[in-house]
Amino acid sequence: MTSTIEPAAGAAAVPGAPAAAARPAAAASARRGGWKRPARVILSVIVIFAGWAIASTQFPSYILPSPLDVWDQFLSAVGRGVWVEEILATVQHLLAAFGLVIVIGLPLGILIGRSKIAEDLARVPMIFLQTVPTIVLIALALVIMGVSDTAVIGVTVAGSISYFLINVIQGTRSIDPDLTEMSRAYQASEGSIMRSVVLPSVVPYLLAGARITLGVAWQITLFSEYLMGTAGVGFQVNTSIKLLDTAAVFMWGLSIVALTLLVEYGIFRPVERLLTRHVKGRS
Amino acid sequence: MTITETMVGFRGVGKTYPKQALPVLEGIDLELREGEVVALIGPSGCGKSTLLNILAGLTDVSTGTVDLARSDLRSAYVFQNPRLLPWRTVLKNVEFALEQIGVPAEDRRRRAVAALETVHLSEHLDKYPNQLSGGMQQRAALARGIAIEPTLLLLDEPLGALDALTRSYLQEELLRIIAELKTTTLLVTHDIDEAILLADRVVVLSSRPARIREIFEVPFGPTRSLDTIIGDPRFGALRHEIRELLRPEVAA
Ligand SMILES: Nc1ncnc2c1ncn2[C@@H]1O[C@H](COP(=O)(O)OP(=O)(O)OP(=O)(O)O)[C@@H](O)[C@H]1O
Ligand SMILES: [Mg+2]
Repeated sequence: MTSTIEPAAGAAAVPGAPAAAARPAAAASARRGGWKRPARVILSVIVIFAGWAIASTQFPSYILPSPLDVWDQFLSAVGRGVWVEEILATVQHLLAAFGLVIVIGLPLGILIGRSKIAEDLARVPMIFLQTVPTIVLIALALVIMGVSDTAVIGVTVAGSISYFLINVIQGTRSIDPDLTEMSRAYQASEGSIMRSVVLPSVVPYLLAGARITLGVAWQITLFSEYLMGTAGVGFQVNTSIKLLDTAAVFMWGLSIVALTLLVEYGIFRPVERLLTRHVKGRS
Repeated sequence: MTITETMVGFRGVGKTYPKQALPVLEGIDLELREGEVVALIGPSGCGKSTLLNILAGLTDVSTGTVDLARSDLRSAYVFQNPRLLPWRTVLKNVEFALEQIGVPAEDRRRRAVAALETVHLSEHLDKYPNQLSGGMQQRAALARGIAIEPTLLLLDEPLGALDALTRSYLQEELLRIIAELKTTTLLVTHDIDEAILLADRVVVLSSRPARIREIFEVPFGPTRSLDTIIGDPRFGALRHEIRELLRPEVAA
């Protein structure tokens, strides 16, 4: 019977990128390992920081700032209110784009996955979205929309939606036809089949797709901000590096890393655990 | 109770799937009378599931008609495999069937619990399907079917995938449940003993295209049990007759 169960979260298709690892299993074994494994992780962080601190004494600050320089930058940016302002600007771009990707991508992906006609019509646009260089999207957005938040959001949606679509399409194809047939035999309406069979089947793929999409979206948003000169962390990196303020570049980079980790552990993992309770296996 | 009214009538039903030359069903004439249990037995791949699918409205007939005595016919289908929704608990899986026929939320739980009690799964309401054994999953699927209080119960080898021991216990359970429900039941099985134990009539089908070869009346009353009929000489005789009828079909 286990074989008819939906694949675990993490089973997902990624164009040109490594697939998301089977996270639930990895997380479980980390928990079982007791204190040794987290200790090793912490140790690695300490070693990296120590190495960085030592190396930074050999270089001028505009090439390799020390951890302390970066921390000072952070405190000063927070003190001036710049940090919150710019992070918020970037997060707003990102969330608007990510929200659009899900709102557009989920119904579209289900449609493409279930209908041959939609699949044929979507084939070329999908290939286009997967292959067109982000830099071209940015150039086009500048011409069409000018320097604006809308342009950043538009480029991010266009550049990341195919990753989400591919996963949702795959999820839709994974639906067990036996379950749809069972639903029909019990007089289920199309809407009810959508809610009770289609969407739950797609959930693990949707989560994996959302995670990959968010990773890609971060990159594209920052890149667009950098090149377009809108508000946001990307543009801050641009101005900082022109002033040879390398410590600020480090500070923004680390801030983004911290934020990404927060999203992964604060949002994705709990949501994933909640939505895939049933794949825990026999107890 | 008098068993006279016809619930379902197959009249010259034939079925050919698109793009296939060989029909699956041919000239099926069969009446299901209200409250009776009819077993369908026949070689594998002959078209038994197709016959049930037609009654469940999952596929159309190609020729002939299916007459339904009542417009409010409500069928429950227990498939060859459990087909439970993996992301729903056992209780919620049973409630699924009740949701589809518009049972108000406050009654669903009560009815689902009652159906699960009937199949002895009260202890496992909140388990997910992959936490249950195959036999328990099939019982949950049966509970899903009986919860909607069907007027027609379609059972497609409901015990086919189980080991012999589990199977023989569940046969007795099924006998009790069907007797309690008094629902018109069409049961597909490969097991001659099971057919005789559970059914009022046994319909023997030919290999594909399935035609009705013969219909046997089972002489045992509603209070039968495996233990009481097994020693009855009529049981052995009937079993022998059905077996011999099927032999060339299966060997062919
Ligand atoms: N949807 C379908 N489309 C095309 N052919 C089908 C379809 N369903 C069943 N068949 C074919 O029709 C024939 C009868 O199938 P069916 O499932 O009704 O047989 P069955 O008697 O239930 O078999 P089994 O004993 O193995 O369950 C088989 O040869 C099968 O391949
Ligand atoms: Mg079958």
